[in-house]
Amino acid sequence: MSDRENEDEKLQTGQTQKSQRTGSELGIGASIGKQLKAYYDDVASEPVPDRFLSLLDALDQAESASKKNRE
Amino acid sequence: MSVEFDFRKELITIIPNLRAFATSLTGSFDRADDLVQETLVKAWDKQHTFQPGTNLKAWLFTILRNEFYTQMRKKGREVQDVDGIHAMQLAGHPEQQGHLDLQDFRKALDLLPDDQREALVLIGASGFSYEEAADICKCAVGTIKSRVSRARTRIAEILGVEGDGDYGPDSISSQIIGVAPAA
Repeated sequence: MSDRENEDEKLQTGQTQKSQRTGSELGIGASIGKQLKAYYDDVASEPVPDRFLSLLDALDQAESASKKNRE
Repeated sequence: MSVEFDFRKELITIIPNLRAFATSLTGSFDRADDLVQETLVKAWDKQHTFQPGTNLKAWLFTILRNEFYTQMRKKGREVQDVDGIHAMQLAGHPEQQGHLDLQDFRKALDLLPDDQREALVLIGASGFSYEEAADICKCAVGTIKSRVSRARTRIAEILGVEGDGDYGPDSISSQIIGVAPAA
């Protein structure tokens, strides 16, 4: 019985430490927020692939070419 | 023309965000980049309709989202049908092998209904306000709020059940250290 109480205490201590930094927000909600950011930044932190830079160059050139043709 | 040059430059700064949002919508890195490509072509064609001084990021996200749902309708298949395939594709992506600790979260995110997932990503990761997210999704601010709230609850349930034991403070902090760039 006393063992179980000790375990409960450990769990509660862990929970308190976890939620200290997040103020009023529940620990679980804050950790979801962190994981969501990590998931998103995993892609968003990658450099812009060359294919998109080439695409914009091509669009730019196509546009200037058609403008010249109109003039 | 200098105005067009600026448009191009601004566009490039937003591409990383477009890719991340597209990944969350499609659940596939390859499909995400195809979607971003379509979005850039569309945005370029209608750049004259963009009002300088307004939010270009929100404007681009709206185009990307519209393009995504238009494609889904054309293919005549519901986004829900690819649940599970999403997670498998992401799990199998070679670049993601170093981020195995994110896989449980990816799977949980993929189990959400599309409207809840996009609301959660727009608010929780893309940095939009509830008002901006409501504009992008063409719904009321209150709708976005309730979708985000339901999404959070659902993810907590999924991770609570499926990720039991791996979901302690230790695994989360190691995940943050492993993923976030050292500031």
